[in-house]
Amino acid sequence: MHNGNWKKILAGALTLALSFSAAACSKESDTTDGDAIYGGEAVVGITQEPMVFDPHTVVAAGDREIIFNVYEGLYKYDSTGTLNPCLATDVAISDDASEYTFTLREGVTFHDGSEFDAADVVYSLERASELLPELASIESITDNGDNTVTVTLSTPNSEMLSNFTTAIIPEGSADTIGDTRIGTGPFVFDSYEPGIGIVLTRNENYWNPELPYLDKVTFKVCADMDAGLLELQGGAIDIFPYLTTDRAVQLDPNTFDILSLGSNMVQALFLNNDVAPFDDVRVRQALNYAVDRGEIIALTMDGAGEPLTTAMSPVMGEAYDTNLDGVYNQDIDRALELLAEAGYEDGFDMTITVPSNYLVHVNTAVALADQLSAIGVNATIEQVDWATWLDRVYTDRDYEATVICLTSDYAPYDVISRYATNNDGNLINYSNPNVDEIIENLPLTIDEDERISMYRELLGYMTEDAASVYVQDPANICAVNNRLTGYAIYPMYIQDMSTVRLASSN
Amino acid sequence: MGSAVRSALIRLCEFLLTALLVSFFTFSAFAIIPGDTARVMLGPDATEEQVEALREELGLNAPLAERYFDWLKNACRGDFGKSLSFGNPVGELISSRLPVTLGMSLIALIFVVAISFPMAAVCSRNPGSIKDKSLSTAGHILFAIPPFALSMMLILFFSKVLHIFTAGRYTPPSDNFGAYLASLILPSLCIALPKIAMTFKFLRASMIEFSQGDFVRTAKSHGLSDLRIMLKHIIPNSAVSSITVISLVLSDIMGGSLIVEQVFNLPGLGRLLLAAISRRDFPLLSGIVFYLAMMTVILYFLADVISAVIDPRIRDGRAS
Repeated sequence: MHNGNWKKILAGALTLALSFSAAACSKESDTTDGDAIYGGEAVVGITQEPMVFDPHTVVAAGDREIIFNVYEGLYKYDSTGTLNPCLATDVAISDDASEYTFTLREGVTFHDGSEFDAADVVYSLERASELLPELASIESITDNGDNTVTVTLSTPNSEMLSNFTTAIIPEGSADTIGDTRIGTGPFVFDSYEPGIGIVLTRNENYWNPELPYLDKVTFKVCADMDAGLLELQGGAIDIFPYLTTDRAVQLDPNTFDILSLGSNMVQALFLNNDVAPFDDVRVRQALNYAVDRGEIIALTMDGAGEPLTTAMSPVMGEAYDTNLDGVYNQDIDRALELLAEAGYEDGFDMTITVPSNYLVHVNTAVALADQLSAIGVNATIEQVDWATWLDRVYTDRDYEATVICLTSDYAPYDVISRYATNNDGNLINYSNPNVDEIIENLPLTIDEDERISMYRELLGYMTEDAASVYVQDPANICAVNNRLTGYAIYPMYIQDMSTVRLASSN
Repeated sequence: MGSAVRSALIRLCEFLLTALLVSFFTFSAFAIIPGDTARVMLGPDATEEQVEALREELGLNAPLAERYFDWLKNACRGDFGKSLSFGNPVGELISSRLPVTLGMSLIALIFVVAISFPMAAVCSRNPGSIKDKSLSTAGHILFAIPPFALSMMLILFFSKVLHIFTAGRYTPPSDNFGAYLASLILPSLCIALPKIAMTFKFLRASMIEFSQGDFVRTAKSHGLSDLRIMLKHIIPNSAVSSITVISLVLSDIMGGSLIVEQVFNLPGLGRLLLAAISRRDFPLLSGIVFYLAMMTVILYFLADVISAVIDPRIRDGRAS
């Protein structure tokens, strides 16, 4: 059965690969010189129904990427993944990384006209620290009276700054914020209609007078990617993120800019380390040597992906160890040797459980199964619906192998901390005392260089252990109608509309 | 009219029993299949604490049986609650999807009636003729093609060959009524074609039977033209007997529209139904299933009433 699928993918990939490479990838749409144009509107297609607008209880990536335009924190990410001052202008971190003192920006107002001040920061962080696990280590927040606020942590954490992107909301607005949606961001929340979409309008009093450009931004709900694609082609939608390559090549390159960037996601054939034969490191290594990642990326993403050999994407920068590139290049002989050492010279049967709603993962599983057959491993693909996958594979860990993408914020610690033995998100039951120790010590380490070397050491252990068969960081592909310019893809779930503007005034 | 009241009461009891059974089966299915509403809403990147908090907020921690009886109690009072995953009242969500599903069903019904009656009339005049044989064969072929397969063929033909149709483009009736109808015509046709074949087959048989009846011979001997006999005697007679068939066809049409709207990418009840299942949204799913059961029962009831109104034999209780 999977032979037929395999051919189908291959045929599709061949036809599309050519056309896609022509619509080459950049990460920002062309910026025109000269005076930027203000005014106009844009419609962004989304395929997930928005649900939660309270910035401290929101979890779904689809909601977070929209309200990024409405709420702001003390610091804010830009499209390169760098943290920049936002509602704070500066931060001073104590030598033991247990005290963060922020200098607040002056002259900022909330969307309802009220002044932003230290009391709002204290209020918001106190509320957020009760609701958000990543802020739970906040012990106290002190208004120093001189437009600075000091946050004291119960356990020192040198990587805490990324968590201060948490939204600052008006003091006392806890009960109403989910409905009023008042923040300080470049856009004001105008309206939401279920099944239709969200309308944001320009914040006339934004603290950065140069932004935003557009008067109005609509996030329009599309039934699915194909429906959105049709609306994009028909002109009802201007910007459509998270396209697959086979859809992107259908678009007219004279009308659309196709942008693409590593998405900071980690797609892998995750192996349940508690289940035989995957409890044997030699078997896991053998599978790693059996796989040709380049071919899988060509087949499933038309080449728009970055091969991975370990649990972190190179997009993550310094924390990633480039020495790991190509460690598990395909080597069938080595794979057979390892299998024989482990006592599986005749191979074995395995089941790959895949969520049926993610075509890329299903296709990846098909391609993997085909490659694994070369070393005598007979993989059966079992498709389950998403809810079943979450329950059986993710929560109960009742599976042998699965293909899925793990995402995280742009923080290396979030990416790797799930591999601690007792972490709830450790879906592969990975356990290595050395890794546990590094995960425990990382937040306590202040020195940047030392932290980087710790990350690299950890990735070294995980690669050696062949924790799973890491496959690729699939590129995030976004189509933008070229009547707009200035859109930037972020290496995380963010749709920043503040820099988007009309390409020309007519 | 006593019999009408009695039959209405029977229908009502049937309906309540159906609704109760259907909701119980839905609930049982949810109790057996894996999947947790809160985890589906938050995804794999949420921590166990966040999922637990949402579970608590949605009331998912109460025992299943308790949740079912709570739901049942409220449903009896006409309150179907709020969708777990969308947060909107279930009734509101269902009614927002009705223009697609009902519109498609209605247009499909018009197709069925407008095409199958003339076809049957033509065929029944000369059974066994070339005309009859070719139309009957066409009917058999249509009958054999499932709507979803037909949908794909028609989409390909109309959008890729003729370029006059865009699958997935849907305009709400409030925006532009003409465009709304245009977006529904092709999917409606896909639902209607197999049903046209079915209705045609039935009508043809009954018209042939009637055209051999005594009253036709009498009419002929009185010198009435063939056309007049067809319009005044044969069609009205077979219309009465075809009402039951049409009411059956209608519930098939509603079921068919749930599938066809997936293929055509239309925001109808079928998509909402699938969303409810994939999100493990029990209140929403039960609401939709209840609504569909209700529509079916109402249709059968209406068919009874209409038959009684136009056929004096049924009205006066003379029929068996």
